[in-house]
Amino acid sequence: MRIKSLAIAAFTLAGLAVPASASAVTYIGSGSVAAQPVLQALFKTYTKEINPNVHFVYTANGGNAGVKDVQNGTSQFAGNARTPLPSDAGTTYIKMFMDGLCLDVNKANTLTDISIQQTHDIYRGLLTNWSQVGGSLTTTIDPVGRDTNGGTYNFFLQAVLNNEAPASNVNALTADGLVVNAVKQDPNAIGYAGLAWQGSKKMHALKINGIPCEAKKISVEPLKYPLSRYLFMVLPGDGTQSPKGLLKFIDWMRTSKRAGEVISKAGGVPAFNKKK
Amino acid sequence: MEEEFTPEYGPKWSDQRVERILGALVCGVVGLLLAMIVTVFIRGWPSFSHNGLSWFAPGGNVDDQLNEIFLSGQSGAEYVYTFHAWPLIWSTILITGGAVCLALVAALFVAVFIVEFAPDWMSNILQPVVRFLASVPSVIYGLIGVVVLVPFIGNDLVTEHQKASVAGVISLTGYSLLAAVTVLTIMIAPLMVSIFSDGLRSVKPGWLEGSLALGVNRWRTTWKIGVRSARPAIIAGTVLAVARAIGEAVMLAMLSGSVGFAPNPADGLIFIYEPSRPLAPTIIKNIDQLSSPPGSATLFSIATVLLFSAATFSFAGYIARRAMKKYGAA
Repeated sequence: MRIKSLAIAAFTLAGLAVPASASAVTYIGSGSVAAQPVLQALFKTYTKEINPNVHFVYTANGGNAGVKDVQNGTSQFAGNARTPLPSDAGTTYIKMFMDGLCLDVNKANTLTDISIQQTHDIYRGLLTNWSQVGGSLTTTIDPVGRDTNGGTYNFFLQAVLNNEAPASNVNALTADGLVVNAVKQDPNAIGYAGLAWQGSKKMHALKINGIPCEAKKISVEPLKYPLSRYLFMVLPGDGTQSPKGLLKFIDWMRTSKRAGEVISKAGGVPAFNKKK
Repeated sequence: MEEEFTPEYGPKWSDQRVERILGALVCGVVGLLLAMIVTVFIRGWPSFSHNGLSWFAPGGNVDDQLNEIFLSGQSGAEYVYTFHAWPLIWSTILITGGAVCLALVAALFVAVFIVEFAPDWMSNILQPVVRFLASVPSVIYGLIGVVVLVPFIGNDLVTEHQKASVAGVISLTGYSLLAAVTVLTIMIAPLMVSIFSDGLRSVKPGWLEGSLALGVNRWRTTWKIGVRSARPAIIAGTVLAVARAIGEAVMLAMLSGSVGFAPNPADGLIFIYEPSRPLAPTIIKNIDQLSSPPGSATLFSIATVLLFSAATFSFAGYIARRAMKKYGAA
């Protein structure tokens, strides 16, 4: 009797695990945390408006981990926020859309403008007091950054720190959300985070070399805003062996007007999408 | 003459079958454990063989060393293994030791109160609450720490003068020993309370009644007879708590700070505000480097040290419990 009911329960569970419709496909991806908000919005729109039979699962485990997943076949695609490295052999990078890395300070800080050099010096431990940078504060700077797992970290390392390691007084946190949280809570903090994280009243983004961190300033070419970057889709091989449905989605994401709207709304900057 | 026992129903050999199946399961579990220890040790071995005992010694900046190790894995040049883990070990000792000492005292008094002094209705409430607290996932404690405790320490306790005195070396932002120890204490104390109170409850009632009958007051009876006989349980609870504290990674990665810095008690009060990074969170924060051979060896060597210290503590606890068996309650 008990065995029978157990068997029934097992069958029911197995039934639940099978996707509702047989023709539906699910593409599995992983990678960049920075790309996640935009990608999730794109996935949702695509499944809802374009092809209800295509579903996506995306695990935001960090850009570098995502590339590894593609290399060893656990993911069919990965999001990444940095340009290819020699260790990414066997993968293809496709530009998806753009993102700007903003430098954020707490709302208590009246500073509005900062240069790349100053940012470099803060994160290298050379400038330690806000009075050396400007603004109203005369307190010690609390620089906040990402740990080495993030594509955001790599981008910041390349774009600001000239590949020099951050100083020991930089507090390296495990997620972009934690960086934003730290800046919101600490009047003396400075941190970096993508456009999708902006818009809170408890912190504000600084102009870099006089250019504000806004979507409309992060144009495609030439890259005027110093901390603008492409977010990449990483595919295995030369990118042509991937499933047709996935390639179709990528094409839609890169070119259609609707995808452009979704990207802007989710905090990214469309790079190639048709304007109308 | 001895009679052979024959069960009234069911096949004769059913108990033998159970014995074999359970035996196989136990062997499987032990084998799995051994395989895990061996794998971790073998994969971590290159790091130990390159550094020898200086693996455990201070020397240089541990974060720079980790960085060098990881870069050497990416560039394809000769692998670098130099790694002196002392700041990470020291941080583990400080945070685990501090939390276990605080939790031991607190948990002992709470357990005594629940078992001996609290009215029934109160211990009926406290008991399940403590059990529940002991099973709360650590990431929840971490979140509360990040949102509540860290800003409080960083903005209200640390003074500007203290921050300026270490500017450029470390940031006193609230991610600190104090935050880590406080939350870890709150995390492991319920575990200790529930094991301690089980121990106190299993003290033979006759011993306590005898003491009370001799006119010894309740507090003294509890302290001298109850707590003394429950010592094996107290040790068991403490060992479990130490093991959980050493292995705690997620919560500490969120609260302890991210620098491989060895907080120095000689610095004075400021010492408890200093950030550090214990061994387990170091693995989490660098998990990305698992694919680089020297990086993976270094991470696995850290894992080996964690495994061995946990094993040592549970063995030491076992020895101590055996030595105290004569005091009664298990």
